[in-house]
Amino acid sequence: MKNLLSKLKKLDYIMFACVIALIVMGVVFVKSAGSARASLALQNLWQGHAMAATLGVFLYLFLSVIDYRKLLFWTAKPFYIISLVMLVAVLIVGTDRFGGRRWLWFFQPSEVAKLAVIMVVAQIFSRIVTPLKNRMKFDDAKLVQFEGFKAFAAGMALLGIPAFLILCEPDLGTTLVLIPAVIMMILASRLCTHWIIGMCLIGVISAGLVIGTVWTAENSTPEKRDAIYAKLPLKNHQIKRLRVFISPEADIHGVGYNLRQSIISIGSGSLKGKGIGKGEQKALGYLPPAVSLNDFIFAVLAEEVGFMGSLAMLLLFAVLLLRGLKAAFVCDDPKGRLLAVGIVTLIFCHVYVNVAMNIGLMPITGLPLPFISAGRTFLIVVLVALGMLQSVAVHGRKIKTKSLTEIE
Amino acid sequence: MKEKEFTPLQAPPLFVLFVGSVFVVGFLVLAIALFRIQVRDVAEFTESQVKQTFRSMQVPGLRGRILDRNGVALADLRPSHDIVCNLEEFHSGSDSNKISAIEKSIESLEKVLKKESTLTRKQIVRHYHQSRAIPLVVFRNVDDEIFARFVENAYNFPAFSESVKAERVYPYGSLASHLIGYTGRDRPDSGNEFFHYYEKELKGRSGLELFYNGYLSGVTGVRNIRVDARGFKPSKAKRDLMNGDVEYREASAGPDLSLTIDLNLQKVVERELNGLTGAAVVMDPRNGEILAMVSAPSYDLNDFVPFLSMEKFERYSNDPAKPLLNRAITGTYAPGSIFKPITALAGLKHGYPADKTYDCKGIFVLGNLRLHCWDRYGHGEVGLHDAIKTSCNSFFCNLGRVVGTNDLIAAAKSFGLGKKTGIDLPGEAAGVVPDGTWKMDHWDEPWYPGDTCQMSIGQGMLLITPLQMAVMVSALANRGKIYKPYLHKKTDASQIECVSTLPFSQEHLEIVRSGMRAVVEEGTGRRVLMRYPDQSVVGADRKKRFLLKVNCAAKTGTAEIGRGVTRRKNTWVVAFAPYDNPTIALAMLVERGDSGGKTVAPKVHNILSSIFGEDEYRLMRNGELQKAGEEE
Repeated sequence: MKNLLSKLKKLDYIMFACVIALIVMGVVFVKSAGSARASLALQNLWQGHAMAATLGVFLYLFLSVIDYRKLLFWTAKPFYIISLVMLVAVLIVGTDRFGGRRWLWFFQPSEVAKLAVIMVVAQIFSRIVTPLKNRMKFDDAKLVQFEGFKAFAAGMALLGIPAFLILCEPDLGTTLVLIPAVIMMILASRLCTHWIIGMCLIGVISAGLVIGTVWTAENSTPEKRDAIYAKLPLKNHQIKRLRVFISPEADIHGVGYNLRQSIISIGSGSLKGKGIGKGEQKALGYLPPAVSLNDFIFAVLAEEVGFMGSLAMLLLFAVLLLRGLKAAFVCDDPKGRLLAVGIVTLIFCHVYVNVAMNIGLMPITGLPLPFISAGRTFLIVVLVALGMLQSVAVHGRKIKTKSLTEIE
Repeated sequence: MKEKEFTPLQAPPLFVLFVGSVFVVGFLVLAIALFRIQVRDVAEFTESQVKQTFRSMQVPGLRGRILDRNGVALADLRPSHDIVCNLEEFHSGSDSNKISAIEKSIESLEKVLKKESTLTRKQIVRHYHQSRAIPLVVFRNVDDEIFARFVENAYNFPAFSESVKAERVYPYGSLASHLIGYTGRDRPDSGNEFFHYYEKELKGRSGLELFYNGYLSGVTGVRNIRVDARGFKPSKAKRDLMNGDVEYREASAGPDLSLTIDLNLQKVVERELNGLTGAAVVMDPRNGEILAMVSAPSYDLNDFVPFLSMEKFERYSNDPAKPLLNRAITGTYAPGSIFKPITALAGLKHGYPADKTYDCKGIFVLGNLRLHCWDRYGHGEVGLHDAIKTSCNSFFCNLGRVVGTNDLIAAAKSFGLGKKTGIDLPGEAAGVVPDGTWKMDHWDEPWYPGDTCQMSIGQGMLLITPLQMAVMVSALANRGKIYKPYLHKKTDASQIECVSTLPFSQEHLEIVRSGMRAVVEEGTGRRVLMRYPDQSVVGADRKKRFLLKVNCAAKTGTAEIGRGVTRRKNTWVVAFAPYDNPTIALAMLVERGDSGGKTVAPKVHNILSSIFGEDEYRLMRNGELQKAGEEE
C-alpha cells in the first residue's frame, strides 16, 4: 500500500492533467457535433464517449502503477498474437462501414493492433539490444552489421504482417501512423540506423514520385491525365483524394467537398470562435454529418472555439507529448524508452495527420483525432497507451537493471 | 534536485532532440496553417460560409395609402392571412417521401378547415424543388372563420403557420375608383441586385396606383434566410443553436399619397351621376387642383382584391356602358355649344364688334349646308352677348365663317384642346382639333367652309375630353390662365404649373364671361342658378324656388351625334362660381340626355349648392321672387 502511494506520488501530473483536459474537450465536442444529428443515438453519443473515457481513466491509473516491464513480459506477445488473429477475423466476419471492413462487433481490431505492435516491438527489441551492446565491445563490426540486419528484418516482420492485414481492410491511415511509430522505435534502439534511414529515403522518394506524378497529371490535358492515372498502382478513391490535395478547388462538389467545407468551418471560426455548440457548418449539415463526429471533428472544434481554442488543443497535445518524450529520455532501460517513443510518436502522428488533413495540408486519410473523435475503442486504446507511458514515467527511473549497471 | 541522481545511460540525447524538434516543428506548422486560415484569411472563409448559408429574399415595403385633401383614406391597407406550410418540418427521408408527407398533411388540414386548397401536386413538387427555403402558401387570404378554425387546431399541425401580408382595402368601395385605380401583385423591381427569392408586391395597374406606383411602393428590403446544406430552412429545434439572427435590410413603407380630391364633393358629384352615363370634373380655377373627378358608371375597387374573379371580369368587360373606362380623361366627345365661348373670343380677337347683331332666322345656310338653330323660329336680331345667352347656332356659324378656319383652330388650341392636359393620370386622351390636313388624312376629303361653321358651334369632327372642358372653363373663370390640372396635392405653391396664358384681352374675356353669366340668369342655363320643384310636387310647394347663394356663370351644350336610330345627344354644362373671384370651375357631361339646360343644369345646381348653399324663395303673383321668411 505504501508502495502504491509512493508510485502515485511519482505520477507525472502535468501529463495527467493534459489527459483529463483533452478528455473533457472530447466529451464536449462529441456532444456538440452529435447535437446536429437527427438520430437520438447519435445525439446521446457523448454519454457513451464519457463512459468509455471514465473506464479509460481507470485503466490509465491502473496501468501507470503497474511496472511496464512485467506488463510487457507477460502480455506483449500474447496480445500481439491475439490482435493478429482478430485482424484476420475482421477480414472474414467483420462488418462493412464507410467503405471498409474495419469493425469486429463493437470495436476496431486495427486500433488495438497499433498498440500491440508497439508493445511487441518494445519487448523484443529491448531483448536484442542488451546482449548486442555487450557484444559490440568484443566482436567484429561485421557481426554487428549482421545482427543489425537481423533486428531490422525482425522489426519489419513484426510491423509488416499486421500492416498488411490492416491495408487489406483497407485502412491506409492506420498503417500510415503505425509505420513512423515503429520506425522511431527502431531508430531509438540504434540497432540498424542505416537500414532505417535508407528505407525512409526510399519511402520519401516514392511518396514524392507519386505526388509529383499527380501534380504533373493535374497540369496536363485531360486525356494525358487519365492515361497517367491508369498506370498508377493506386485505387480510384486514393487517386481522387490525392487530386483534391493537389488542387483543392477542382472538385468542391465531389471528393473535395469535405475538405472545402472543413476549411470553411475552420476559417469562419475566426479568432474566438462562434461559441461551443453554436457551430453553423455542422448544424446545417454543410460539414457532412457522416464525418463531423469522426475524422472532421476538429473542424467542428475549430469553428466553435476559434483559433485560440484550437491552439489550446494543440498546446495540450504538445505538452503531453513532450512530457512523454522527457519520460523516454530520463528512462534508464531500453524497454521503457522504446515503448515511450513508440506511444508518443503514434499519438503525434494521429494528431498531426488528422489536423493537417482537416486544413488541407495532407491528403484525406480516415484517421481519428485522439480524445476528440467519437470512437470508444480508439479512446480506450489511447488511454491505455498513455497509461503505459505514465508507467514509464513512474517506473523508468527508479529500478535499474543489472545488465545496465554492469556496463557502467 | 533529482537531476543529480539521473545518469543518462545510453540515452541518446541527439535522438531525443531530433524527435522533440520534429514534434515542435509539426505543431508549429499546424499552428501557422491554422493562423493563416482562422486569422489572416478569416474574411474570405466567413464570406464563403455566409454565401453558401444564406438565401436572399426581396421583401416589398408597405404600399402607401391614398388620402383625400383632408387626410381621409380612400385606399388603405388591411392584414390578410395566409396559411403556409414550412417544408423544413418534414423529416421523413427521401424527397418523394417528404412530398407525399406534405400532401397528406395538407389533405388532413383541408378536412379540419373544411376548405379545399387550390394547390396541385405539380405545384407542391415545383415549390419543393425550387423554393424550399420559403414556406409554401396553402390557403391564400383566408376569412376569419377558417382562420379561427386553424388557430384552434394549430397544435395538430406543427408544420403549418400563418403568414400575414398587406392587402388593399377601399373604405368607400366604388368612390373615385377610376382615379385611384386597381392593383395587382407582381415581382418587385430589383434593379441590378440579385435575389434568390422574392415576395410579390402590390403594383398599380391603372389610375393613380399606376401613375404613382414608384412613389407609393416604398423601398424593398432584404431578408437573408439561413438554409442548411440541402437548401431547407433549419427546423425550429436547430434554429435555437444558431448564433444571432440573420442579416437584414429593413423594408421601408412608401409615403401616403395626398390628393386634391375633396371626399364630400366627390360623393355629391357621384350621387348626381348615379345611374347615368357621364363624367364630371370639378377644378379649382386658381391653381388647377382637381377637387372631384367622376366617371359613371363606376366599379367597386374591392372586387379587385386580391384579384378580379373571372365572373366579375366578364361582367365588367361585357357591360356596354364600359364601367372600367375613365370617361373624364379618356372619353372624347363633341363639345356642342360649350365650345361657343371659344368661337366668341376668336371673333372678338378677329375684330368682330361685340354689339354687331345678326339676324337669326332659325336656319343657317351656307352652300349645301343647312344648319338649324335649336329655336326653329329664330332668335331674330342677336348681338354677341345675347347669342351666348341663348346659344344661337346661326350667329356662331356666321361668326365662325367671318373669323375663318385658321383663327378658330388657333383659338381652340390656345385653350389646350387637341393635346393632353398633362394630368397625373395614365391613359389620357388628347382629343381632336381638326384642320385641313387632318381631315384629308382621316376622311380623305378636303376642308369645306361648312366644316368651319360646324366647328364654331362645337360639332363636326371636333373631339374633346371632359377634363379639357374643365380646364377651358377654369381659364375663363380665372381670366386667362391655363393651369395644368393635377391630383397629387402640392406642398408648395411654387410647384403650381401655369401652362400658358390665353391670347385674348381682358376686355374680350369679360364680354364672354358676362355672356355666360346671362346664361344662368335668363338664358339656357337658368336651372344652374335656380332649382325648380319636381313635376311630382303639388300644391303651394310648386311655388318654391331655390336660388344659389352665389353668383355663377355657365354655358350649356347639347351635342348631337349620329343620325337616324343611333341619333343621340350628349348634354353638357360648364360652369364657374363665384362670378367675381371664382373658386370652382366644373365641366359635366351626361350621355344621352335631353339637353344641357334640362338634364345637366339641375345637377350642376346641386353640386354648387352643396358648396355654396342655396336660399329658398317663393314665386310671387307678379312673377317676382321673394326670399322665404321675408314675406309681408
